[in-house]
Amino acid sequence: MRAWLHSVRVLVWKDLLQEWRSRDIVTSMLAFAVLSLFIFNYALELSPINRAEIAPGIIWVVMVFAGTLGLNRSFTAEQDQGCFEGLMMAVPDLSAIYFAKLLTNMLMMIFLAVLVIPIYSLLYNQSLFNWAFLGVLGLGAWGYSAAGTLISSMTVQTRMRDLLLPVLLFPLLLPVNMAVVKSCGVLLGTVAGQDIRGWLNLLLVYDAVVTTLSLLVFEYVIQE
Amino acid sequence: MSYKNKLLPLLSGFAFLLVLFAFIRMLFFTPVEQTMGLVQKVFYFHMSAAWVGMLAFLASAVFGLLYLSRKDLKWDTLTAASVEVGLLFTVICIISGMIWARPIWNTWWTWDPRLTTVTIMAFTYIAFMLLRRGVDNPIRRARFSAIYAIVGFLSVPLTFFSARLLRTIHPVVFGGGETDMNLNPQMLVTLFISLGAFTVLYVALLLHRARLMAQQEELNQLQAAADGSYDWGA
Amino acid sequence: MTLQARQISKAYGVQRVLDRLTLSVDAGEVVCLLGPNGAGKTTLILTLSGLQKPDSGEVLWDGQAAGASALKLRRSIGLILHQPFLYEHLTGCENLRFYSLLYETGHSEADLRKLMGRVGLANARPIPVRGFSRGMKQRLTIARALLCDPRVLLFDEPYTGLDQQGCGMLNQLVQEENARGKLILLTTHELSFIRQIATRFDVLHRGKIADSIPNDGISLDLLQEHYNTVVSAGGTRQKELA
Repeated sequence: MRAWLHSVRVLVWKDLLQEWRSRDIVTSMLAFAVLSLFIFNYALELSPINRAEIAPGIIWVVMVFAGTLGLNRSFTAEQDQGCFEGLMMAVPDLSAIYFAKLLTNMLMMIFLAVLVIPIYSLLYNQSLFNWAFLGVLGLGAWGYSAAGTLISSMTVQTRMRDLLLPVLLFPLLLPVNMAVVKSCGVLLGTVAGQDIRGWLNLLLVYDAVVTTLSLLVFEYVIQE
Repeated sequence: MSYKNKLLPLLSGFAFLLVLFAFIRMLFFTPVEQTMGLVQKVFYFHMSAAWVGMLAFLASAVFGLLYLSRKDLKWDTLTAASVEVGLLFTVICIISGMIWARPIWNTWWTWDPRLTTVTIMAFTYIAFMLLRRGVDNPIRRARFSAIYAIVGFLSVPLTFFSARLLRTIHPVVFGGGETDMNLNPQMLVTLFISLGAFTVLYVALLLHRARLMAQQEELNQLQAAADGSYDWGA
Repeated sequence: MTLQARQISKAYGVQRVLDRLTLSVDAGEVVCLLGPNGAGKTTLILTLSGLQKPDSGEVLWDGQAAGASALKLRRSIGLILHQPFLYEHLTGCENLRFYSLLYETGHSEADLRKLMGRVGLANARPIPVRGFSRGMKQRLTIARALLCDPRVLLFDEPYTGLDQQGCGMLNQLVQEENARGKLILLTTHELSFIRQIATRFDVLHRGKIADSIPNDGISLDLLQEHYNTVVSAGGTRQKELA
């Protein structure tokens, strides 16, 4: 267990260092997200009240789409430079590779949220700063990254790569999408108060189920 | 891989007869529903198709698990065949649902949660087929298909519970709620006969499709071995 | 230490690549695996390293299967494959530091610098690896393989990309490791270089070790002739249907 955690820590350090050096992923995700916000503004000409209601939806959709840019690049180094084999010889268990990638992807999503939310607030004059809202976004990012990391580890080994990721991933994300948007709407006070415990439970169950399943099946993805 | 060639035609014949029997019973020997009228009869095949769609996806997840543990490609063939057949029945379910909905709800489509869920489920399995097309190496294709079938299937109850949390206008057949559909015993019997008939039909179609897939793959391999063109990416 | 492959078979669909192959390598040996393209050399290396499971047969270490000590065993293998296992945005030293942390070797910065010096990269600039030439990447890959002081070296075409000096460096390294009693198996087409250090040549043909030639000072021409005879036995290699 200690060895497993240690290897996860080292792998996350390596991924963050790679990203810090190249800054490929976060810059394109951020640019994509901000541009999407602009597009939404013109596509949905809304009154301030309606806009306030759909704010969580817009934020989450923007994150989901921008997130695919990051997910697509998750495993390219491992695939193209043969690093999978190098890691497989060193880690105590292959699930450590998956978990480290999940954490890296999640951190990138959270980083994206931290940048996008203030920009949204600025552009639309609506304060979205609310710890509970951020917490739920975090849980959503976890579920998104859990499913996304597993799927991208497969698509990176196919012919179609980037083209295939959204097609495979989006149908699986429906529970996360619903739970995040519905509960955030209530938390931001833009939707009439409902009990969001059901949504939060669902989100937690989804995160746990997908993460556990992925940890179990990951070795079949990368081991011939 | 060989399926017993004698049993399969028998099974197919039996399936055909059962479905015909269910159809005739549904048309002529089942009372017409009070509020919805004649169009309600679509319901028996609609629900049976939905049931088979679910069953097929459960089966594909089980076959996927069996492949991962046994590594025998016949399980992979069954996984893929089950998904295809399941997709067919899910599309039948959606279309028959639309036929039923138009006179009753006065619209072809609503964003009713159950409809949305079933459609997303269909998309999951279209995605599965795209995944298979994108991988050339048969062993890798088998592994990825198994994993996606399992993950895809597990997302179905989660999606269903998401939908349940939202209010639904979809009639709930078993399980209470305002929009209950009341079925008298005769209707229930017809329903169960339809469900049974469709299940047998599913098994027959599954075996046919699997057999065809297996033969096609064997042919591909022999052809490639003959002209040395198989890329295993190894 | 002894590495044994016993009756290893591996097929990709109908194409049988390894066919009940048996091989034995002892510590202190430098075994060179020869064979035409597509003979299965890489498949064999992958199977011996544990990265790929054979369809049948077993890989034995000192007479026993890997089992419970699989991780310890994997970490005591220095592996080189066709791709370099390097992260393009990290510098050479950072790549080594990453692997040394992962292997928990406890190397200090100085140790890593010394290792880079051993492969001729002492004066390499601290630039990301994507700025390295092919030869420099190969040298770094060799350094990475030696990082965990492995007891076993499995090198697949290690001379790829290396210049004359680099090949000489590799030969010297292999000899040093050999002198320390390591078990070494490599594949290559560079007969002139490998002839200087190998203790034995095994020819892989039709999925089996078709011939085993001890290196008792055999000349390059004779070795080449011997090799050609073995691989052309029975005409063009037929692909066997399972």
